[in-house]
Formats: sequence, structure tokens, C-alpha cells
Amino acid sequence: MEPLAPHEKILVDSDIVDDENHGAIACHECHGGNPDDANWKTAHKGVVKDPTYPDATTACGDCHDEINENYQKSLHVSLRPYKLIIDERASSNTVIRNKLGCAMDTHCSGCHSSCGQCHISRPNSVEGGFLDGHLFQKKPPMQEVCTACHGSRIQKEYLGEHEGLLPSIHREKYMKCDKCHTGEEMHGNGKDYAHRYDVENGPKCVDCHKEIYKREAKNVITHRIHKDKASCHVCHSQPYNNCSACHVGKDKQGLAFFKTKSSWVDFKIGLNPLKSEKRPEKFVTLRHVPADKRTFDFYVKDALSNFDTLPTWKLATPHNIRLKTTQNASCNACHGNESLFLLEKDVEDNEKGANKNVLVPVNLIPKKQKWQPK
Amino acid sequence: MKYLRLIGLAIAFCLIFIPGSPFISQAYEDTQCFKCHTSAKKLIEITREIAKTRPAVKSSETEGEG
Repeated sequence: MEPLAPHEKILVDSDIVDDENHGAIACHECHGGNPDDANWKTAHKGVVKDPTYPDATTACGDCHDEINENYQKSLHVSLRPYKLIIDERASSNTVIRNKLGCAMDTHCSGCHSSCGQCHISRPNSVEGGFLDGHLFQKKPPMQEVCTACHGSRIQKEYLGEHEGLLPSIHREKYMKCDKCHTGEEMHGNGKDYAHRYDVENGPKCVDCHKEIYKREAKNVITHRIHKDKASCHVCHSQPYNNCSACHVGKDKQGLAFFKTKSSWVDFKIGLNPLKSEKRPEKFVTLRHVPADKRTFDFYVKDALSNFDTLPTWKLATPHNIRLKTTQNASCNACHGNESLFLLEKDVEDNEKGANKNVLVPVNLIPKKQKWQPK
Repeated sequence: MKYLRLIGLAIAFCLIFIPGSPFISQAYEDTQCFKCHTSAKKLIEITREIAKTRPAVKSSETEGEG
């Protein structure tokens, strides 16, 4: 995403005074600084750029107290799953852990959001700047906020930016992120979730597609046969983006950078690594994430000595859903089609241990069907 | 007369302290923050001045998709 020009980032729309809810709050009440000082250098002493991070109580909490109550546990703010996953893979050595903590502070902790970085400005990770002259946006705009961060995977899938692939059918129906991902989900409900897929009010396909298992529904047989066996995405998503080998470091000027080795579009069905009552399916779509044993080598060697405790092919919910896909064109487009499944030969030798629980043994691939429903 | 004074005071209180009152907006618009941050011209001048002294904040070594 092209950053805004420096002056555009901080240009306030004078219409803000007409905002009946926020217009009466003077700038310095949230941001500090000296509102009477005409010298910008001294006037900005003590100014807080984003008064909603890390604590939004003073800026937003007085009025939005219910949302603010759960703010610290919203995954967009806490990044708890990131920390837990890296902790799980990390060495137990205290010295190594401290160095790893330093690396995470430099490279991972900046990738959060806040009230301000959704409702007032673009997120910091894309260099910020007001969305619309500091006018408060009840619904954050999709492409300036949501996909500004969730770009390389979600944006490309949802908008159909991968060559030869179509946008999600939901995009073609003019649905934006908030149609499925509600404010309640984004703001958190006070529970300290360990994984985004644990979030109780996260979206489920059947929230809207309630009828698919009913007798009179189209394709009811197919849906009933595959219920709890394959996730919706196994049949209805197109190929999606995968990344590998993220390495982080600092350049000669001391500026943080990251490098990923490669990214590629692929579609792989594997065994469900997060099987639960909520996600009981045996087969799910898996995405290769850029986790690597040597991600933090710049800071400390062997930091992720327990790397194999978690897979690098992770449960994925690609955002490029279509009614008709290559794999659901007929029963045997999928059944017996080894190329769709994540097999041992598809995984690099140094990642075989990490992925042992998600690889599909050849004998578990559904057999070709002699009979096919009309 | 006493009642008239009280009513007058009540009206004055409402005009000054109730959010949305023109008096509040006036004070808000008079601040240096508002005057400067609503002027593209001033902001261009200041951000150019800052850019001359501020070093790069992003490494050019970043490669690939994040």
C-alpha cells in the first residue's frame, strides 16, 4: 500500500467540529501538548501520537467503557497467539529467551492495532496517516485498514489478485470484512484466547448458510456426507498464498527488516491440527506459514529449538470462496486425487517432524468413487 | 426579576457547557493545534522541515511478503 504524503497523514478535516460525539473534545485532551503555543516544536512536547495504545482508557474508555473493558484482550491488541506460538517453539534457556524477547519486541510487537489505528488512522505497520482527516470512522474501511495489514494473504485472495484466480464470491456480492467479522469479534469479549480460531464469536459459514443440511436444500446429500469430515474450505476455496522462511535482522543503520524466502500459490488438504468440538472436521485446508527454525538467528542461534512441536502447515481459512471449484467439480475431482493432499513428499526434510500430525497418509486419501450422485 | 436572572443564568450555562454549543466550537477552533493541522500549507512546510533532519525509518533490506 502506497503511504500517504507526510502532511496528508496529519491533515485534520475542519468538519470534525461538527461531529456531535467527538467534536467537542479538544486535541490536547487526548494527545497532550500545548494548544496555546504557536511554535510547533515546543507545542508538541509531550504529545502522544496514538493515545489509544497501549491503554485506551483515558481517550476512549470514558464513553466506550464496555469496549474498553475488553480492549487489552482483543487479539489485535494483545497479539497473544503470536507470543504463545513462539514461546512454545522456543528454547527453555533463559539467556536465549531474553534475546528472543528482544527480537520479538523489535520485529513482532509493532504489528498490533488499537482503537485509533482502525477508526481514525491507517495502522502503524503501513506508516499510519488519517483515514479521513481524523474524522472518526465507525466502520474501518476495508482496504485502508483491514487489508492494509492482512494484505499478502487475505487481500490477494479476497479481491482475486492472484493470476488466474477469481475473487471470493462474497466480494462479488459487495461484502466487506465487517459483514462476517463483527465489531464484537474485533473488540474481544474479555476472554484471553490462545488462538484466533478459538474466538467464540468468530464467523462460521453456517451462520449465514443455515439451510445446507436441510432436506430441501440443494446439494444436501453432498453436504451431509462431508459434514465433520471436510471443512467448507476443502470444497469451496481456490488455491491460496503460502510463504516460507521469514528471517529478521537489522541493517547497517540499525533499522529492522525481514526477508521471506519465497511465496507460492497452492492448495493442500491435510489433517486438522486444531480438531475440536467447534472444528471437528478430519480434513482441512492447510497453509504454509513463514515460520522457520532460523527466523531469529540474527539475534540468537537455536532460539527455536522446540520448533517441531507445531506444524508449519497450519489450519487455514482461505478468503477466496467459490460455489464451484476445481476440486468440487465432481466426486473424483477430489477423491483419489493425491495432488490435492499434503503428503510426506510435499514437505521439506527439515520440516517433516513439525508436520507429522498434519500429513495425510496415502491410505487415508478418500478412494475414487464408482457411483456419483447426479 | 429574581426568576428572570435565574433563567438567564441557566441559558448562559447551557450555551457555554453543553457539548455542541457554538461557544465550545469557537474555543476549539482557536487552538494552535487546530489552526495548524487544518492548514495543508502549514503542514507541508513543517513536514518538509522535519524530513530534512529526520533519518529513514524503514530498512531498504526488507524483502518478500510479510
